Amino acid sequence: MTEKREEKKVRYDFKKDYEAPIREFYPRERYLPGRGINEIVTQHDFMGKKFERFESLEHYRDILRLCAKCGTCRYLYREWDRVCPSGELGKFESFYLGGKNLLLWGLTRGQIKWTESLVKILYHCTLCGNCQVQCQIPEIHYYATDWLEAAREYAVEEGYGPMPEQKRFGEHVEVEHNPYMELHKDRLAWLPVPAEKMPKNAKVVYFVGCTSSYRQKNIATTTFEILQDLGVDFTVMRDEWCCGSPLQRTGQRNGAVACAEHNISEIEKTGAETVITSCAGCYRTLKEDYGERYKKELNFEVVHSSVYLLKLLKKGDLKLKKGIKKKVTYHDPCHIGRHMGIYEEPRELLQSIPEVEFVEMPRNRQYAWCCGAGGGVKASFKDLAMFASKERISEAIATGAECLVSTCPFCYRNFKDAIEEMGVDLKLYDLVELVKESMQ
Amino acid sequence: MVVTSRYERVYEQLCSIAGSRYVSNRQEELFLYRWDYFTCSTPPGRCDFVVLPGSTEEVQEIIYLANRERIPVVPMVSGLNNAGLANPLQGGIVLDLRRMNRVLEVNEDDMYAVVEGGITWADLALYLNKKHPTLRPPITWSPPATGVVPSLLENGMHDLGMVGGCGSDFINGLEVVLPTGEIVVTGSLALSDSWYSRPPLPDISGLFIGWSGRTGIVTKASMKLWPKLPRRDYSLSAKTFKDGIEIEMALFKAGGPLLGICDITAINSFWSLASRTYSGLDLSRVPLEPRGADYMGMLTVMASTEKEMEAKAEVICDITKKLGGRITVYEEVQRVMAENERGITPLVLNCPVQEFPIWNFYMGGIGEWIGGYMPIRRVPEYYLESLEITKKYGKHALYYHRAMFGGHYNIARTLVLSNKDDPEDMRRTRECLMELDSALRKYGVRYKPQYWAVLRNNNKGHAGTLGLISRIKKMLDPNNILNPGQGM
Repeated sequence: MTEKREEKKVRYDFKKDYEAPIREFYPRERYLPGRGINEIVTQHDFMGKKFERFESLEHYRDILRLCAKCGTCRYLYREWDRVCPSGELGKFESFYLGGKNLLLWGLTRGQIKWTESLVKILYHCTLCGNCQVQCQIPEIHYYATDWLEAAREYAVEEGYGPMPEQKRFGEHVEVEHNPYMELHKDRLAWLPVPAEKMPKNAKVVYFVGCTSSYRQKNIATTTFEILQDLGVDFTVMRDEWCCGSPLQRTGQRNGAVACAEHNISEIEKTGAETVITSCAGCYRTLKEDYGERYKKELNFEVVHSSVYLLKLLKKGDLKLKKGIKKKVTYHDPCHIGRHMGIYEEPRELLQSIPEVEFVEMPRNRQYAWCCGAGGGVKASFKDLAMFASKERISEAIATGAECLVSTCPFCYRNFKDAIEEMGVDLKLYDLVELVKESMQ
Repeated sequence: MVVTSRYERVYEQLCSIAGSRYVSNRQEELFLYRWDYFTCSTPPGRCDFVVLPGSTEEVQEIIYLANRERIPVVPMVSGLNNAGLANPLQGGIVLDLRRMNRVLEVNEDDMYAVVEGGITWADLALYLNKKHPTLRPPITWSPPATGVVPSLLENGMHDLGMVGGCGSDFINGLEVVLPTGEIVVTGSLALSDSWYSRPPLPDISGLFIGWSGRTGIVTKASMKLWPKLPRRDYSLSAKTFKDGIEIEMALFKAGGPLLGICDITAINSFWSLASRTYSGLDLSRVPLEPRGADYMGMLTVMASTEKEMEAKAEVICDITKKLGGRITVYEEVQRVMAENERGITPLVLNCPVQEFPIWNFYMGGIGEWIGGYMPIRRVPEYYLESLEITKKYGKHALYYHRAMFGGHYNIARTLVLSNKDDPEDMRRTRECLMELDSALRKYGVRYKPQYWAVLRNNNKGHAGTLGLISRIKKMLDPNNILNPGQGM
């Protein structure tokens, strides 16, 4: 009898029930394998149909009817903050996931037609996936961004997509292999050593990506120097092309596949066992799209720089000695976070730097607000990219942090633009920059 | 000379009032706003424009325009609609108040909040959790994007129903743009600087409560808040539904809210749905198996101290057990439930309900209910009849009931699921809903009735009352521009 009473007291601690946030009643999120989206209870049966990822819009047709634009996708699970940059800026129902679902439901049933505004709505989205985390209908929770991407492929097939700016960068990728309207011959201009001095063969390839090659060269240079300082047997590809992410996210699949085939062949020529990338978008594309979407055989492992460096730190090869007395917060890039499930490694690496004071933003990990750059948005919807970025910068500042740290050059670039426009005093770092500073 | 059509003229004027960014006549918006997409008994309407006004003044200007042009205006919040009540049946302007979503004031002393007409439960819950964590609103079991003001105006049932009654009982006062464009304020703010109560003035708030947006557009509301006290949730069960209702009645008589009971419900529908959804077992077809209980209920108790909670719990548990019921702390139920049935559990700990869509739409996106207010003894009678009706149509009987205001009145509802892509299933569902509607009227009064349910009962009721309702509508809305075709 006494034992029973004791047990009850512990489990239903009165004060704790009152003060604890609701989420504490539940076990910590268990993420889907290889993704940063939590598992939820699946339905017993969906007309006996099984769904797969990376399929055509037709494959997901039956799921679309489950949506009733109830708006659950707009709010952070059980905490009620906003999650959708597209909807919060666009305001109309069509810009939220619920609206898009029902428009696609109508489109696939012939109730509405392709229009310029429909195309714009479908592309007015960073594909960050925060909405799908919130929806508790399992099929939507698991596959929504898959059909949002499939809808863009369908738009391209039908001749309505992508957006004009995206089409232009798609054409440029075909010729100069980058979406920045730069020349391919200048791709390695950031390299601190002459390109021909880089070994042809190495165990590790540093896949730089277009943004770090042409815009955020600080990230490319720093990553290069870290690898060099650590004595890693690595090289960079003489003929690296765009990973294909900007094309795939905007429905231009054929161009993306061409990029994949070229890059795989070039990586194989180096004999590398590991490909490191400091770009979240490249990471997702190389690791997930090349293998699982395009069904290419990859004879190498793809690793994000934050994961690779943490591994070296744990092995004792990387030593973080110099203290950095700064209060920092971390932004989860969607492409390594929600899309691929890398949440803890960057945090662990960051917090291993002596004297760093780490603070979380309220919306973190799978609930992180998107930086606003992805999905072709920065090229075609500058207002949306800036809106989303400013919102995140404000959230970071509200934590009291002096520095915002991320692990994606594209997030970095968008944050940089917003910080400049807002005129705020928030220092921006890629994680590798702080690691490098602490190594000295 | 440029000749513009009436349509173009109205569009331009709407743009000049609300800003072109907030006005749409795109195919996509018209498609989304024509229908609520989760009820099937009311066909999609059609709208010509969707406007998102940002202020009371903009709403007023739009109303003036609509009167000049004799265009219908259908108010709604956050793109959500219920029972097709904001399906634009006669075209015109759909006015989505979603931009007017601020909390304007929280008075901790008198425990009320003043909110704009377009705020959602999620917006309000977020604001109060962050800034006034000792207070809480009454929240409906509905998705987080549900509008607060429509829930209050349409007598929605809340998780504080036992202490405070239905949604409209929580209203202290309203700011309303009348169908003719004038602005009125109801409640204490009309004659003072504070919005703490509805009495003692003549209660003209009633001119806008239960009218399905046909007599005015509410742009601000003052609503009662409640202290956020520690709570404990219990699962109740009884062998038959009638037994369960007897237990509820005994609890009302023992004090109900005075015993700390802030919410008491029969949630057979949720058990059924959770079970059917997650394990394939249809409890509604075999209600006595496998749990051995036909009545599945939930009860929430609030108390300020642990001693108080234990004392209240003891009385509640004793009464339940004496009448043959079972009562278990909810977390315990959750612990012993099968992993794949736990989808039900967040409901009791969390409002608004993020799991709402999986429960209501899992079959095919349609989840429509027939519900009404009724005396407590009629609740089990309607339960049994609704069970038979739903079985007849091959539908799962998804029934629930909630006691309000200390048990002084009760709400019962039957939810029927359907598949948007299956016309035959939709037809069968419509028939089922209509039969449920007929049945319910024997036991009580429909609430949030679909337009067809109003039409089929137009001349049934007290002639004097119906005549007065009709005269009030004509007086307030002489051009019949607000939500025509809907409501009484």
